[in-house]
Amino acid sequence: MAKITIDGKPMEVADGTNVLEACLSNSVHLEHFCYHPYLPVAGNCRTCMVEIEGPKGPMLTIGCNTKVAEGMVIHTDTPKAKTAQKSALEMLLLDHPLDCPVCDKAGECKLQNQYMEYGLYDFRRGVPRYFKGGKAEDIGEHVMLDQERCVLCTRCIRFVDEIPKSSELGIVSRGHESKITIFPDVRLDNAYSGNVTDICPVGALTLKEFRFKQRVWFLKKAESVCHGCARGCNITVEHNRGRIYRFMPRENAELNKTWICDEGRFSFNYFQENRLEEVRLGHATSNLSDGIAQLANLLKDLSPDDVAGIASPTGALEDLYVMKKLFEKRFRLKNLAAPFWGKPGDEDKILKLADKTPNTQGLNLLGFDTEGKDLLSRIEKGEFKVVLIAHNNPFGQDEERAKKVFAKVKALIVLSVHKTKTVEAGSMAFPVRTFIEKNGTFVNATSRLQRFRQAVEPENPDIVEASLWMVRLAKALGATGFDFEDSPSVFNAMAKEVGALQGLTFNKIPATGKVLDLKPLAAEPFQGVKAQPNVSGKAKV
Amino acid sequence: MPAVEPQLTKRFGLKDGHTLKVYLETGGYASLKNLFAKKPAEVIEEVKASGLKGRGGAGFPAGMKWSFVPQNTGKPIYLAVNADEGEPGTFTDRFMMYYDPHLLLEGIICACYAINSHTAYIYVRGEFYEQIQRLNAAIEEARKAGYLGKNIQGSGFDLEIYVHRGAGAYICGEETGLLESLEGKPGKPRIKPPFPAVVGLFGCPTIINNVKTLSSVPWVIANGAAAYAAIGTKESAGTHVFGLSGQVHQTGYWEMPFGLPMMEFINNYGKGVKGGALKAVIPGGSSCPILTAKECEDLTLSYESMRDHKTMFGTGCAIVMNEHVDMVKVLKNLTHFYSHESCGQCTPCREGTAWEDRLMKKILDGEATTKELGMMLEIADNMEGKTICVLSAALAMPVRSFLQKFRADFEKYCKPAGVAVPEAVS
Repeated sequence: MAKITIDGKPMEVADGTNVLEACLSNSVHLEHFCYHPYLPVAGNCRTCMVEIEGPKGPMLTIGCNTKVAEGMVIHTDTPKAKTAQKSALEMLLLDHPLDCPVCDKAGECKLQNQYMEYGLYDFRRGVPRYFKGGKAEDIGEHVMLDQERCVLCTRCIRFVDEIPKSSELGIVSRGHESKITIFPDVRLDNAYSGNVTDICPVGALTLKEFRFKQRVWFLKKAESVCHGCARGCNITVEHNRGRIYRFMPRENAELNKTWICDEGRFSFNYFQENRLEEVRLGHATSNLSDGIAQLANLLKDLSPDDVAGIASPTGALEDLYVMKKLFEKRFRLKNLAAPFWGKPGDEDKILKLADKTPNTQGLNLLGFDTEGKDLLSRIEKGEFKVVLIAHNNPFGQDEERAKKVFAKVKALIVLSVHKTKTVEAGSMAFPVRTFIEKNGTFVNATSRLQRFRQAVEPENPDIVEASLWMVRLAKALGATGFDFEDSPSVFNAMAKEVGALQGLTFNKIPATGKVLDLKPLAAEPFQGVKAQPNVSGKAKV
Repeated sequence: MPAVEPQLTKRFGLKDGHTLKVYLETGGYASLKNLFAKKPAEVIEEVKASGLKGRGGAGFPAGMKWSFVPQNTGKPIYLAVNADEGEPGTFTDRFMMYYDPHLLLEGIICACYAINSHTAYIYVRGEFYEQIQRLNAAIEEARKAGYLGKNIQGSGFDLEIYVHRGAGAYICGEETGLLESLEGKPGKPRIKPPFPAVVGLFGCPTIINNVKTLSSVPWVIANGAAAYAAIGTKESAGTHVFGLSGQVHQTGYWEMPFGLPMMEFINNYGKGVKGGALKAVIPGGSSCPILTAKECEDLTLSYESMRDHKTMFGTGCAIVMNEHVDMVKVLKNLTHFYSHESCGQCTPCREGTAWEDRLMKKILDGEATTKELGMMLEIADNMEGKTICVLSAALAMPVRSFLQKFRADFEKYCKPAGVAVPEAVS
């Protein structure tokens, strides 16, 4: 620890912290722009200017590239420092188009915010505006570049150089004619390209998928976890009036930092399209109560040995827990498994994992058989009259095999989010909620238990969480011990039973998750990316 | 001034003075015997004691700079020679390399021995094509004669020198911009710390010295620090090649000890001001604050006198202007140059230099009032000392000195106060 003084107040910060982070973590506001806590320091915006006392008197310097030292005396509010901060902002805004009314960044634009916080000077330029040109240049599959809004902070360049290491972006020309652009014959098409639009402090880089779709101040936010692979990157689901507009990365220093892959980012539409909206009983549509009643009627007369269950790693921990409990109490636990049907996807050393499901480790936590070979062969032999498939889509992923396996099953009961081939093949299908419509937890490949919160409520009240669907079925079958109102109460009950979750309640799970004592299924993310040790969590990302 | 034997220019004008044969005949590579008899640390002490300052513009003591190199990093140490002479009004390094390339090589050998470096790069401005050819030929000759390569003159010291041709950007003369360019990247100065003496070229400790600094070293090693320190003035030891351009009858460059009065320089060497009375002098390259004729009266060519006059010694090449020169056009020329040469990294420089240039155009077009003059001064204050390198200061200083010392010239272009000038709209 180093003892330093900021604006006359003594404080202690960790050695190696930079002055900017030291200020921010001690509630001293300091303007900053090009600095990103997870990228190398560029020191080019010159807004985080502070005065540091030295042998030759106070010296003006940038906070982001200065490490604290014992006894350092820092001033952020002297006239000299204030003028430097303000004038740098004035120059950043000098030729800015001020097209905020049509700019997608408006409302979350650092230039706007900093002007309101630190600027508020009278505009003066005295000369005609310089046009840097280039409106809406198409530079990649997902990204558009509005050249004239660019403030040349180089965050995007540093990102493509450091994280995907694909280096598609660079600066051409010099001085105030400098422009950020893609290299000739190269397009910004790396697997992480969407992140440049998050870190762009202005509206220079925007997402094609979000442009002109929604003003950001209308968006409501829910803390969530990406569903796209076993990495479980932290995200914020941003929605308005029941519609998801985007997934944004949510900072987690120990996991995805502030990045997510494009595959995960653009998966939001997948959860809004092709949804199963109604209860299907054979070819007829019905409602949830009738459906459950009819199903309970069917199951009542069967022996507990006649029912098999197929769970899925796409289900939340709560769904899996209640399903397990249902099989334990009403049927046979040995007849429940979560076999894997899909093929592994692509992976890299940054974030993406080949396992494209979010909760394989959750299955391991609850002791599910994740291969289910035995169960499937028994189903194929015709040992079961009814098979309950929750969240899984065997027909969609391997139709031939599924047809063979389920040929002798009398009734296939399907719980599904989408209108899948399994729904078509099933004798009864019930719509269930996706992770953006419910509260719940996943355990990622590196054994991190993570909570996601409900973002939107489905219009149709018959679309319930799989866990609560199981609860209703259990009650209809007369089973006891299923007094759960919602997913958090399921989690709290589960935490009392499952050793690794001891002492946790749904609301007590830290926002960045909690690592459980389970053997990790994958290596830590960002292999080969230099760590930025200097994060206070307060800098604008 | 007492006559002093030329150290830097003695082979200028000699037939084949650039060849090894003539170089050796005229006492070349003689310092190496003294050099290899000393330990590297002793060489650094010798150069420190000589008072030799960096000739690139900042005037940092050369021996002191060498002593900053950490010797225990386990990494190679590099010497980068800054031959990217690009300061407007400066034109002496090019002749040093053209007429006496071996002197530079000898200086490099001395410096590399002192800092324990075995690889040196000469970063030459791209336009200096003939100089590059001569340097390469000299390196070839020296290598064949055992002055470069393995085990130089039986001393056990190895050194290779490579010439790198720049692409003609002013900013590549800034030491860390030079290193970036040498590494094959755009010439954008690096943020410091770390300083290049610790983390420089390819991440290794690196010393960057100017051509004339290194060319001065062999004489120091051959004749001793005391002899060198005795030449020139108290704070400005040794000799320098001073240049003179602009409105004088005789432009050119002359080697002499520090301390000559500026007026003597202009009148005796430059044969007087051409076309009218003296109005102003930019003493050491375009980024130094300009001086009025009156200020030049008691100015001498030395670091300390320039400092006392609130300007800089810079490169030691003065630009002389007579009474008919329009200072507004001169400053427009400078603002154009610096805005064009700004690398564009730091906001205050990228935007500030261009803003100054755009305001200068407005003034020249007769569209401005005195309000713009005030703005220019404020922008200069907001640029200087707020950026990674000193390019913004190199424009801020002239802007400030021009506007303060020759305000009348600027006011002639301005509309009378009180006349409302509509804000220009795009």
